[in-house]
Amino acid sequence: MPGLIGADGFAKVASAALDLSGVDGVEVLSIHEWGGITRFANSEIHQSTFREDTALRVRVVSRGRTGVASSNDFSERGARQAARSAKEMADVAAPDPLFPGLAPKADIPSVDRFFAATADATPASRADSVAALIGRCPEGFVAAGAFETAAVELGLANTEGLSCWSPSSMASLTTVMTGGEHGSGFAETFAGSADEIDAPAIGRRAADKAVASQRPVALDPGTYPVVLEPAAVATLAGFLAYVGFGGRAYLEDRSCFSGKQGAQVAAPSISMWDDATDPRTLGAPFDFEGVPRQRVQLIEDGVFLDAVYDMRTAKQAGRTSTGHGLPSPNPEGPFPLNLFMAEGESTVEEMIGVTDRGLLVTRFHYSNIVNPVESSITGMTRDGTFLIEHGEVVGPVMNFRFTQSILDALSNVSLVGNQAELASEFFFSASRVPALKVEAFHFSGRSDH
Amino acid sequence: MVVEAAVRAGADYADARMGTDETESLTVRNQEMEGIDRSTSTGVGVRVLVRGRWGFAATSRLDEAEVERTAELAVEIARAASRQPGVPVELSPVEPVVASWRGTMGEDPFTVPLEEKVALLMEATRRMQTVKGVTFAEGGLDLFRRSTWFASSDGAAIDQVVVHSGGGIEATAVGDGEVQRRSYPNSFRGHVKAAGWEHIRTLGLIEEAERTGREAVELLSAPECPSEVTTLVLDSGQVELQVHESIGHPIELDRVLGMEEAYAGSSFLKPEDRGSLRYASPLVSITADATLPGGLGSFGYDDEGVPAQRVPIIEDGIFQNFLTSRETAAAVGQTSNGTSRADGWSHLPLIRMTNISIEPREGSLAEIIGDTKDGVFMATNQSWSIDDKRINFQFGCEIAWRIKDGKLTQLYRNPNYTGITPEFWGSCDAVGGREEWTLWGTPNCGKGQPGQVGRVGHGTSPARFRGVQIGVR
Repeated sequence: MPGLIGADGFAKVASAALDLSGVDGVEVLSIHEWGGITRFANSEIHQSTFREDTALRVRVVSRGRTGVASSNDFSERGARQAARSAKEMADVAAPDPLFPGLAPKADIPSVDRFFAATADATPASRADSVAALIGRCPEGFVAAGAFETAAVELGLANTEGLSCWSPSSMASLTTVMTGGEHGSGFAETFAGSADEIDAPAIGRRAADKAVASQRPVALDPGTYPVVLEPAAVATLAGFLAYVGFGGRAYLEDRSCFSGKQGAQVAAPSISMWDDATDPRTLGAPFDFEGVPRQRVQLIEDGVFLDAVYDMRTAKQAGRTSTGHGLPSPNPEGPFPLNLFMAEGESTVEEMIGVTDRGLLVTRFHYSNIVNPVESSITGMTRDGTFLIEHGEVVGPVMNFRFTQSILDALSNVSLVGNQAELASEFFFSASRVPALKVEAFHFSGRSDH
Repeated sequence: MVVEAAVRAGADYADARMGTDETESLTVRNQEMEGIDRSTSTGVGVRVLVRGRWGFAATSRLDEAEVERTAELAVEIARAASRQPGVPVELSPVEPVVASWRGTMGEDPFTVPLEEKVALLMEATRRMQTVKGVTFAEGGLDLFRRSTWFASSDGAAIDQVVVHSGGGIEATAVGDGEVQRRSYPNSFRGHVKAAGWEHIRTLGLIEEAERTGREAVELLSAPECPSEVTTLVLDSGQVELQVHESIGHPIELDRVLGMEEAYAGSSFLKPEDRGSLRYASPLVSITADATLPGGLGSFGYDDEGVPAQRVPIIEDGIFQNFLTSRETAAAVGQTSNGTSRADGWSHLPLIRMTNISIEPREGSLAEIIGDTKDGVFMATNQSWSIDDKRINFQFGCEIAWRIKDGKLTQLYRNPNYTGITPEFWGSCDAVGGREEWTLWGTPNCGKGQPGQVGRVGHGTSPARFRGVQIGVR
């Protein structure tokens, strides 16, 4: 396995670009990433891969103008060449009146997120875990999914004297089991270390769902109370971040939170924040401009408090960056990558127990925005959607299409789960969120399975 | 060298792709530079079969020892896959060739001075800003070149170069808690083709800037698209998205065989549907054509060394063929129709759309609208969502107009529509003619794990559909 380049190795290559003469500033972002993924389908391992790459992204500032050049020639020669190319771009660019300068030196909080055994996980160890998961697949069903182990070293240095470096690792195991009479079940675990992946347990969860979801019945679309498991809540959280929490959209009145600071936007039981320093999440403690990532309370007791900012939007707002910048150039603006939603006191079983007639949703699929300023999105249910009657799950139903404002849903939350999970969404980074009971959730259509 | 190393390490079959991707991207907003960047990425990926199991490894370090280590790792990965029992992979045959291929390109877009590119976007955004009420005026250019060297243990040696150029503008109007956007010539950074700078010159980004801005502003005060079941006419750009999501993906044989089940999903199609399933009305014929000049899905050979082909997918409404790779074709007793492509050197090839196009019929967009008594015309994709079997979809557009007695009347904002794939295509009763047919590019098609971005093409004409639910809220 490749092994770490290390802070000194990054600094040595970066210095070749930082030495560029005749410019006002240079920033070098280095990303060394490697990892393997073992994909399986039809209960066989069908695609198993490994890749390693090291990219340099050099940003050059010249007379208030910036240019960026990237290369995966991770060498002093490659860094110098990228710097020259970035200067060429900067020389023809128009000045950016909102350019905030490069990040100053800062104390970066230390996080311990690199697990060597996960970074160095072998194809054989992943295959054995996959085999253990498939071993829980019931007769007449097949398992599909992926076990990924990966590592990334992030380094950032600039001519303001800033130099930071952080390694981290990640492991995830996801499965969908299908078969029987139109049964389908899903389970996953995301973690910083492969040691936290319990393959047989994930297999059992998916198997239970798959068996229980056979012979789904057609139910009319409409508005129902729902119990959303954490994977479904992660979709709401991810899209809320996309349409709402970014400082650029907020300042430009394009966010569903624009003009709503201090307003009640969700039920009092809903609190959300972004915190890269929390040991229960993944990633580096600094952003892609080298600013320490701060904990930002986004919603507290249902009241919208704040958005997240990078250096450019912070300058626009007359404040300091919260450490949520993405790699430059970044027309989308800042983004929260480490979302949390506060836990409540209910179990999923208790939520089901107090539901007279409603739906239990395992997860959503391929959701997308309908109207960003209304936080309205659409998507499908998938891999386990069940009817609840008189406090009990009575059977599976065919998948629904939902069209729903996220903030309306969060305003109708009556119960919050007592156990948050790190859950992924198709497009966004994983959020740590609990299950939710939502009293009114709009399903606008239905599929045939 | 890398193929030989893989065979030495125990591979029964090996192929390798060494490649370089180069990009250049410029974005201007309100006559200010939002971003100007270039990137280069070079590396090698090696794929092996060992006792019928795949292994793949890729590295950006190209020294001899590292390349050899990567080949050995691919073999180790393939051997590890056999720790879980499975049916050994068989490959459909392909004649190994030694060949060079270059895509269509006139003027190399990477040699056009940066000053000219910046000036074009500055003027286009300036023109949009002359329209009162335009809050943000954006313009973007995206250039892409992929150079690939392919070799296999069967003796194939192929080098290919493709160049893609694209550009577009977008006006945004913000007011009274509403945000409206209009794009030209298409949304999500415009119109991308396998072409050089000559394509950018034909786009008319400056000429169309003011109209684009005006429509964005007009949308702010337009009423919401009504909720009803009606006749729907789609412009060529939205038909592109409709073809991509509800035909292009379901016909991928790897999805049909369950190989993407856990991530992007599978398909409502079954292998036995070939030649018999009514997918669409008799007016609809769809072709997969990797030989089409100018398409993002055009190439000489796919990433398994299979020659580019033109394949009927739907003929007069009847489903005919899947998109296949060597592995999936063999699984259903066929030979590959050459659609296995990877997102550069660092990824395993997967089945990807080539240029999936609707064959033109007759009539202009004006004639289709003129022939419609009552309905809604929607243009330019804004959002998309479809279920894991590609059955239930809901798509949003940027703009819509009421059609009344053959004329466009009331403007609507936030239009969308929903449907069930075979029912929707079965309701198609008009497809525009060759004069309305545009070869669009979709450079951002996601698939696979780790995620791969595919660059695919769609030739489409405007089309009309009956009895469609619109205005979903």
